[in-house]
Amino acid sequence: MGESAAGKVPPLTIDGHWAFDYTYYAGDAASRFFAELANRRIMGTRCPQCLRVLVPARGFCDACFVETTDWVQVSPHGTLETFTILTTSFPGLPEPPLVVGYVMLAGASSAVLNFVDGIDLTDPDAAGTAMLGRPPVTARFKDVCEGRITDFVFTLDEPA
Amino acid sequence: MRPVYLHGSAVSTTWRDASRSLTDLIFECVRTALGTAGISAADVGATVLAAHDLVDGRGLTSMVTAPAAATYLKDETRLGDDGALAFVLGDARVRSGSVDTCLVAAWGRASEGPIDEIAHALFDPFTARPLALTEIAVSGMRAARCLGDFPGYGRWRGAAAARRGVRPADPSRVPATAWPLRAGELPVWADVVAAVVLGSQPGPVRVGGVGMSTEPYELGDRDLTGLTALRTASAQALTDAGVDAASIDVLELDGLTLFDEALAAEAVGAAARGDGMSLLANSPRVNAGGGSAAGYCAPAMGLVRVARAAERLRNATTSQVGLATGASVVAAQVQAAVVLEGA
Ligand SMILES: [Zn+2]
Repeated sequence: MGESAAGKVPPLTIDGHWAFDYTYYAGDAASRFFAELANRRIMGTRCPQCLRVLVPARGFCDACFVETTDWVQVSPHGTLETFTILTTSFPGLPEPPLVVGYVMLAGASSAVLNFVDGIDLTDPDAAGTAMLGRPPVTARFKDVCEGRITDFVFTLDEPA
Repeated sequence: MRPVYLHGSAVSTTWRDASRSLTDLIFECVRTALGTAGISAADVGATVLAAHDLVDGRGLTSMVTAPAAATYLKDETRLGDDGALAFVLGDARVRSGSVDTCLVAAWGRASEGPIDEIAHALFDPFTARPLALTEIAVSGMRAARCLGDFPGYGRWRGAAAARRGVRPADPSRVPATAWPLRAGELPVWADVVAAVVLGSQPGPVRVGGVGMSTEPYELGDRDLTGLTALRTASAQALTDAGVDAASIDVLELDGLTLFDEALAAEAVGAAARGDGMSLLANSPRVNAGGGSAAGYCAPAMGLVRVARAAERLRNATTSQVGLATGASVVAAQVQAAVVLEGA
């Protein structure tokens, strides 16, 4: 008589880990957008067809499927369209809790993501609820800018 | 073009079952689906599979996993996208007459990988990853906008969460939250496989219509609470089927969190703008089994919703119409909608 196919042995597991290094190419439009951040300017590109100013700047409008033409500097002032308070920790990134949100800057047609700094998160519910009404915010550049999205953060124009 | 029928389906939802490999789970679920359809693997004309390399932790995962989905010497299509989109492609294969029977399968095993880290790696390396964005974070931002704009979301979120059933105590099954989301509104991670058999011969459930649509990748360009892609996809499916949203009896709506499900109800036209959470709290028509709290792992969930809708139609005592939807990563950029009609 043969052995049962369902012979009982301890289930085997092994650990796996992926750590590949990539080099991502930003392309001309994004390279210029980030270079302008180092100059403390937030830039968009205008679509010649729908006239939207797309921020972060990009080389084409996906809705119209045409190349963007003009470069436009948008205001550092805008409204916090929505946000969340993050509780997840990632290696190399600031420690939570963190407020991150989408801001519609004056002169832009699309919202841009960044951290919202300076919020007292002792009571997350109170802090979050106070910011639900699209409060005005301003982009503040760091002392040393290096041409990355993290060169600026948003702060509330009035304390929550 | 020919009518298409859903002949069989199966869903398996487990957690960290060390006695089974991913391919074991796929094999068992697909075999069950073939059994409910009353056919064998030899009867399958084509397969469409949805799987995600990052979720499975295997490069080109379908190379490894496809044989467990009855693909041996078959015509096989692989998608790195949601299972409902695989269903739409399977429907097209049968509808066009290129095959008589098509097996659609989708899976994701949350217990094998770091789901939060995977949900972070999906985002743009220049503009989003440095800001710690994840799929749950986007749901949090949708939820915040709902609470700010629609009083019904705050009023009904507790009652809607209570309908999602008892949650497992294991903390590894729930993602780290993102304000304003509460624990009972989050998905419950699971090891999920779904399989559906489509055919040209009359069966218990007919595919009435399908639709697909894609939103911009950039979240700052999107209407985060409007779910434009789902509006477009469901309008297409309903028009195809010749039914309106108000006459849908069975709704199975894919969403990562309770808020995403409520917004999906609005996008498909089942609830007015701002009333989605109230519908989830009060209507047994929507996600009767608990939605994303009954076990969640991308990219299986759209096909799970299709299979659940088909089950509900088969069990109904009267002839009913159902609508199932599926949303892709990144932040529901791609949406599919399927109208199903019971016999
Ligand atoms: Zn345009």
